[in-house]
Amino acid sequence: MEKPLELSRYCVPFTPFVKPLEESLVCLVTTAAVRARNDAPFNVEGDNTWRRIEGSLSAKDLTYDDAHYDHACVDRDLNCVFPIDRLASLAREGRIAGATSEHFSMGFSQALRELRETTVPQLARAAAAARPDAVLLTGG
Amino acid sequence: MVTVQRAIEMLGVPTVLITVEPEESAQARPPRALCPRGFVAGHSLGRAGDEALQKWIVMDALSLLREPARPGEVVRRDYT
Repeated sequence: MEKPLELSRYCVPFTPFVKPLEESLVCLVTTAAVRARNDAPFNVEGDNTWRRIEGSLSAKDLTYDDAHYDHACVDRDLNCVFPIDRLASLAREGRIAGATSEHFSMGFSQALRELRETTVPQLARAAAAARPDAVLLTGG
Repeated sequence: MVTVQRAIEMLGVPTVLITVEPEESAQARPPRALCPRGFVAGHSLGRAGDEALQKWIVMDALSLLREPARPGEVVRRDYT
């Protein structure tokens, strides 16, 4: 039996966005190793796990575990890489409907095969299951 | 990062990426991406405590969802 077809890296997957932003729930997904303060830390040397972050939390409830990007900004304001308070503010202004009940975060890893085969599919399915109208992704 | 983005998009959810590494991101072919020009890792959305700037960038990124498709491209904008 032939292997299932895989998406070529030259092909770009594209899902049309059909709703007005004002009616849309937005989910954040980051690779900046952000997490709730009471959640288990990421291993900064390499970690293929991911975390859920409750949408009702604010930046002051969150922290990060990282040794790969400049921390001058995030140490004072985590919204620099994970704009959770800014989404809440945009929702209050009626410019988006709100945030999903969960956001998602992963950390630094060089175990690329495990990332590709396990971490990324798991995280993508979890993000889709949160039923966002759109996902906003941020790096470090 | 783009690998995650492409996976979510393949599940039928529209996505947009804010990146400060536009060359690297473009090579991985993102469905939609915004690069705030001149920003560096750790400052993807600009300066600490600058709520107006951060919201401006978030809204610009989300607005790419409504614009004509430019799959694989990274849109670069200035915020100074």
